[in-house]
Order: sequence, then C-alpha cells, then structure tokens
Amino acid sequence: MAQQRDWVPQDVDISVPSMARTYDYILGGGHNFAVDRAVGVQIEQIMPGLRQAARVNRAFLGRAVRFMADQGIRQFLDIGSGIPTVSNVHEVAQSRDPECRIVYVDRDPIAVAHSELMLAGNDRAAIVHADMRDPESILASPEARRLLDFDEPVGLLMLLMLHWVDDESDLPGLLARYGDALAPGSHLAVTHASGDHQGREVTDATEVIRRSRSQDQMNLRTHAEIGALLKGFDLVEPGLVGCGEWRPEGPADISDSPDMNMLVYAAVGVKS
Amino acid sequence: MPNPGHSPDTPSPQPDAERRRRALARKWTYLLSGVVVVPLTAEELDRELGEQLDAVCDGIGAGQYDPKVLERVGDRLCALGYIGEPGLRCTLEVLGKGLLALPEFQPVESTAERIVLGLGALAVGFLASNQRAVIEQQESMQLSLFKAVRDAKSNLRESEARFDEVATSSSSGIMIISLDGQLVRANAAIGDILGYLPAELTGTTLFDLVHPDSADVLRDAMRQLLDGTETRIRQSQRLLRKNGETARISLTTSLLRGTDDEPSHLVIVVEDGTELMLLQGELKRQVLHDVLTGLPNRQYFGSNLEAALRRADPEHGVTLLHLDLDAFGMVCNSLGRQAGDRLLVHVAQCLKVVLSREKAMIARFDGDEFGVLLENSATTPDVATIVADINAELAEPTFVDGHGLAVSVSVGVVHRPSPDLDPTELLRAADLALRRAKTRRGQWELYHPDQDAHDREAQALAVSMPGAWEQGEVVAVYRPVARLADGATAGVEALLRWDHPDLGPLDHDRCAALAEQTGLILPLGEWLLRVSSGQAVWWKNVPLIVGLTAHQAADADLTNRVVRVLKETGLRPGQLTIGMSVQALRVPEAAENFGVLADMGVATMLDGFGGGAADLVLLDELPVRSVRLAPSPFATELAAMVHGSGATILVSGVDTEEQAASWHSAGADLASGDLFGTARLPGDLSF
Repeated sequence: MAQQRDWVPQDVDISVPSMARTYDYILGGGHNFAVDRAVGVQIEQIMPGLRQAARVNRAFLGRAVRFMADQGIRQFLDIGSGIPTVSNVHEVAQSRDPECRIVYVDRDPIAVAHSELMLAGNDRAAIVHADMRDPESILASPEARRLLDFDEPVGLLMLLMLHWVDDESDLPGLLARYGDALAPGSHLAVTHASGDHQGREVTDATEVIRRSRSQDQMNLRTHAEIGALLKGFDLVEPGLVGCGEWRPEGPADISDSPDMNMLVYAAVGVKS
Repeated sequence: MPNPGHSPDTPSPQPDAERRRRALARKWTYLLSGVVVVPLTAEELDRELGEQLDAVCDGIGAGQYDPKVLERVGDRLCALGYIGEPGLRCTLEVLGKGLLALPEFQPVESTAERIVLGLGALAVGFLASNQRAVIEQQESMQLSLFKAVRDAKSNLRESEARFDEVATSSSSGIMIISLDGQLVRANAAIGDILGYLPAELTGTTLFDLVHPDSADVLRDAMRQLLDGTETRIRQSQRLLRKNGETARISLTTSLLRGTDDEPSHLVIVVEDGTELMLLQGELKRQVLHDVLTGLPNRQYFGSNLEAALRRADPEHGVTLLHLDLDAFGMVCNSLGRQAGDRLLVHVAQCLKVVLSREKAMIARFDGDEFGVLLENSATTPDVATIVADINAELAEPTFVDGHGLAVSVSVGVVHRPSPDLDPTELLRAADLALRRAKTRRGQWELYHPDQDAHDREAQALAVSMPGAWEQGEVVAVYRPVARLADGATAGVEALLRWDHPDLGPLDHDRCAALAEQTGLILPLGEWLLRVSSGQAVWWKNVPLIVGLTAHQAADADLTNRVVRVLKETGLRPGQLTIGMSVQALRVPEAAENFGVLADMGVATMLDGFGGGAADLVLLDELPVRSVRLAPSPFATELAAMVHGSGATILVSGVDTEEQAASWHSAGADLASGDLFGTARLPGDLSF
C-alpha cells in the first residue's frame, strides 16, 4: 500500500534523544544535547565499559576505510553517518588519498545540517538527507550522482546502522538493492550490535532507548542472523567477528574487556 | 648539584637519554590509544607524542622553566581528538612516573619541583583547551540545530508552493485538516463552493463547515482512517455555505502520514459536481440505505449476505446478529416518534463503535431492528462478549429531550451457518432466535434449528410502564420505620407501587427492576424522590429513606437531581437517607456519588449489606451513616459485625414481636415490616 507522505517536513525535535548524538557523547564528544546525555548516562550505568565499545567501533571505522583504500577503493558511501565526530570517513580516506570522494547519508535533520556545515568547502564530500530504507533516493541523489561512479567499485559503510532497521523493513531485500547497484569489487563494511554476549545488559539498554522515545530503536540480532544479512558479499578474513577482533593493529583497536570487544560484530565483504 | 652526565645547558640529550625518551613516548602512545579516540594511526600518534614529549622535556629541563611550553603541550594534546578526562589521567600517570625516571632529570631532587609544576601547567593548558572545544562543539550543535530548523522551514515553503500550484489550478475544493479538525490550508475552490473568501476560512474547524447532522458520520470516517481500517473514504456530505444554505457535496477524505509514518493530517477533496449527478448518487444511496441512520437497509444487507457467506474465511465463518431494541415502543409512546428516531441514531452509532474493530456490516432493518453480519477472524470475540459489549455501550444513558435513556437489545444469533444456506433462510433463522431472546430482555439467544417459531411471548411488562406512570397507575407509597428500642416511628421509606389493572399491585422491587431495564428509572426515580421529599416536609420533616437502583446510583446527574429536589421541597439534607446497594457501589461512579451526597449532609445508607469481604471494604472506606442488612440466616451475626462501625443498623421484614426482640438484642437500631405497618398511600398515614 503506497502511503501518502506529509509534505510538512519532519519536525526538528530535540525533546527526544538521537542515537547519533548519544554515540558522540559516549565517545567523549560535546556534539550532543541534554536529552542525549541523559540516555547516554543511563546506558553507561547499565554497561560501564560502553565507552570502550564505542572507541573500538570507531577504531574499526578507521581500519575498514584504510583497508578499502589499500584495495584501491577511492569512493565511499557512508549510510547512517550520524553526527560527524572525531575520525570521520572523509578524514581517514582523504589522508590516504586526497582524491577520495565520500557521500554521507543520514535521516536526522540535525546530523545533516551539522555535516553540511562541516563539509562546506570540501568539494569531494557531501551529505544526503535520506532514510536507509529508501535506496533509490540515495543512489539517485544529486550528491551521489556527482561524487560517485557506480561503474567503479564503491566502499559502502553501514556502521552501527543496521540494528536501527526493524525486520518489517525487509533488511535483506534492502541490502540486495544496494548490492545490485554496486560494481563488482565494491566493498561493504558493517558493524551491528548484538545481545549474544551481554544479553541482559544489552536488553536493558534497549529498553532505556525504547523508553526514551527516540526515533532510533534497537533491533538486536544474533551472529547467525547478521551473517545471513551479508550473504551477498564474500567476507574477507576473519569474517564476522567481534569488532575488536577484526584485524586489530594496536591497543587503540581493542578493549581490555572481552565483552566490549564483542558487543558489536564487524565484517568487511566484497561483491564478487 | 653536580651531574657529570648531563648539563642543563645542553638542549639535546645524550644517546641513552634519547632512547629512554623514545621508550617513554611509545608507552604514552600505547596506553593513551587504549582510552581515547583520535583520527591517527598508531605510527602517527607515536610520532606526534614523541614531539610533545620533547617539548615537555625541553620546557622542564631548559635552564629556565617555562610553563607556557607545557600549557601548549596540553592544548595540543586536547586537539588530537576526543581525549577528555581518561586521556588526561592516562597522560599524567605515564609522564608523572616516566619523567622522574628519565636519566636527564637525575638527580630527582633538583628536577622534581619543575616536573610537578610542568605537569600542572600541562593540565592547565589541557583544561583551557578542552573547555574551549566543548563550548565550540556545543555552539556548532546550536548552529546545526538552527540550520536544520531553517532548512525544514525552507522545505516547507517549497512544498507549500508546490501545494498551491496544484491546489489553485484545481476546480475541486481541497482542504488540509489537522487531526483535531483544524483547517490548516484550503484552496480558492473551497471558498467558491462555500461562498467564503479564503482568508475567512483560516482558523475555522472542519466541523464549523459541516452540517450538524453529518458531523457524526464524518467523525466516524475520520476515526476509521486513523484506525487504519480504511485508506480513503468517500461520502455524500452536507456542508454549510456562508449564507447558511446547505451544500450537498461529495467529499473524499484520506489520511496523510508524516515521514515517521504516523498520521499527521487529513486531506479532504470536495467535489462540486453537477447537482444532477449528486442527486442521482443520493437517490441510489437512499434506495439501499436507511435515511435516518445512514446504515445499509435490509435489502442491501440481504443482497450482500450471499457474497459475504461465500467469501467468508472457512475457519472462522460468519456470525449473523439480529438485534431488537428492548423498550423502543415505550420510548415512542412516552417521548414521541422523534425521540425514538434519535434513539435509533444513537443505537446505530453505538453498534458502529462496538464493532469498529471487526469486519462487520451493520444495517437497520425496520422499526427498531438492526442486523449485523460479522466476518469472523481469529481475534473476533465470542458472541457473549460482543452482545455484552453492545449492551454495556447502550447502558450509558443517552439524553433524548432531557430524558436519560439507557436501553438494551435482545439479540438473535446464527453462529457460523453453513455457507450453502440460502440468505433468506438465514435471516429467518436469526429472526426466530431473536423472538426467543426477546422473552428475556437484554439477552441473546442462539438459533437452534429444532426450535419452532411459536415460542414468542408477549411484550414485556416494562414497555407499558411509562404509559402506566403517566396514567397515575404508578404511585409513591410509604412504609414506616420504627425504633426497635421502644417501637416509636423513626421515619418512612418511600417506595413505588404499580396498581396494575390486570395483575394487581406490583411491589417496589418489581417496579424498580422493570424501570431499571428500560432506563425509565432515571426520571421515575427522580419523581419518587421529589414527591416523597415534599411529603416528608409536609409531615413536619419526618426522616425519609429512599433506595436507589444501580442505574440511579451511578447516574452522573444524581447529585444535581438531589440538590434540585432538596431546594424545591425545602427538605433538610440530614432528614434524607439515600440508600445504594453494595452491588451498585462497586461501580466507581456510584461510590463517588455516595461520597458527594455524604459531603452534602445527606444521610447515606449501605443497602443489602451481606458481610462479604467487599461489603466490609465499602463499610470501611465510604462515609456510611447507616446499613441495611440483607436477609440472611446469619443476619444477627452481621448486625454484631456492623455494630462496632458506628453506623445505624436497619433491618426489614420484621413481622413479629419475637423477630423484633431478637434483632434488638443483636444490636439492630431500626426496623420495618408488617409489625410496624405495611407500605401505604400518604393519606393512610399521619405524623
């Protein structure tokens, strides 16, 4: 059933937390509002090592982008990029090769506005205001058409993103539509939260988010379920593993707490 | 102190010192990278921290200690990324221990002070820089928020321009309505159709523009859209023109959803077709629909029955309900045809409300009969629940010409008939089941194929009661209440009596039960209260007891009625005892009325007290002045139980001296019964 959309844009509502801004708070940043910090504090009380997990995920972003760049990827599509905080895809990629081009995508109007302000003057990076569940409007956006060449391999990043998409949205179908649009040799990097290791704490944290009435709601999946989502891509070694276990290079990449290394699963795959 | 290995005037350290510095820088990198987030690789961070460590050592070790150098290191550290408190703590721990151990700072006695001051300066520089960074980040968020709002507004302007482009060129009227009915936007055509200037329409609500008789139908449609049962509803509607005329138009309502998929607005397209076309449509509709209620009529229902039977889910089947209003004739007789019509519209609305979640076709047959065809699903409640829900909805009194009417329906049910059954036979079966159900009001009866049509009984007595009341057959009578201690009269209880021409006198309990079934009790009960209060005043303020039925007790208008009667008759509240039964008081509204009456100074009585746990709770929680015990073999034990609460104890049915003596010794205070006098007309009593 085709739903009519309201032409009045979604309200900019800072009375409810955004998980992108809460993530920034947990990383130690100041790009957030009181509502975001309130949720962050509650989740940190449930999972005292959360800051470690966030740091480890952020470090994975750097490794994944550098890995892709080393494979020759020069154009990136980062869906669910959130609030640009420290160590962004374009910074990592363009420090490898200033020619790298990056399109960010987020659905949160404040994240989009912030990205636009930050990317002003960078003609090789842009942000699209769109929802992950609408691949066609992302792929056909003026920014994507200007910066990305879909005949060449693309580095598609969906980091701490897919767990915000519920099962009713046909996530496998969505990923297939993205996959279809990408040239062979394109890479996909994914991180996805799971309750496999800290089930009780993760469930409690999910409940905190639910009660916060945030637009972003957590959909936890198991290792097997996340693996099944990635079946259109050949995963590079070591496959789908705890974020801290994916090719760590130093203390920045892992946490002392095994639970925090495993809170989020990570993988990089290649479209054959 | 002399130090042969190192001169403070030499800025570059010796090779060993150089090696120890690199080792400390690596340790710093290693530990710091485990707690902070920076956009640097391990090598980049190592190089960066190596440079900073050199600066630290130079700032401390140079001939002259320079805090500015150390503050700059703190500033630089902060700028690396998200360092924060964990990063600063790690830095001070690593450098605090490490610097003291470096060969270039030996002996420690000569350098410790500079190292301590130096690390302090580093922390100061970090703090200042960190504070600035947080403020900048917060400011950038404010800026982003401002930009997001501005962008949203600019999108809004663009989309409004698009809307205007579409809307102005349309000859149909287009209205955007917020979910609470406020008119958000309207195009010029709607103004033409209704005779308003567009500016005059802003700020009005949709219901200002809809003919009052059509408002309910439109509200229903809006509710269906919000429920998601329909995506678009087209209705023939009546709108009001500015000059007061009615505009018969075709109105299509659909729901707009926001980006979050939540309903946000309604869009209504008003088609100003030719009068002829509308007339045709209306005529066609009227042939198949009941003009009064807007429901499909029997003909339409019958012709759709066959199709519904065929398409029904074989697992759950269909259920056919044939409903008949229990006291409709009475309403029409006593309140007139128009009141009857309004009651029928009310019943139609109630049926729609109760069945709003079901796939149901609701039709008005003839007179006071309705048909419902339910296409059952896994979630459809059972028949008993549905009928109970319908009767519960109808039990809420609706006010028709100032009379609160609470009606009930009797229902004939054919549950899951064979799909092969002929629709005519199916309707007949439902009718037969209804005739059986009618013998007990507010009931339902399943159709049993072996029951024959002859068990239909005469109309219930209650239906003729309003007429009888009008004729003066229903009268107020008074039963003396005596003090058990000395047998003196302590008051009277006002009761109803129906002197039925054929059946003889019907007592209060029978009258109250009959009136309760039809809702007549509300006006009849107020009448009893009024005439008896007047009578009690006439009798020089003899204490008066009036018992209420469940409907009366829960009536939202009860306290107003009592206040009105007291004011009109001059009876003092303390002289009036109002009784509510323990069953009636389980309804919260009744308990609330009880409390309000007590606050007004009216003497409140707990009637039919049986000593159960729930009864004791009521006795404990409500402001109870007196208690009338229910007839019970254990009544004397009950009296003892209540005695301690301080409430006056009443008993009834005391016919002999022995009973009176036994009650008295059990602790009862007041009694009524044959011993003290039967219920009589006021003329037969004197005080």
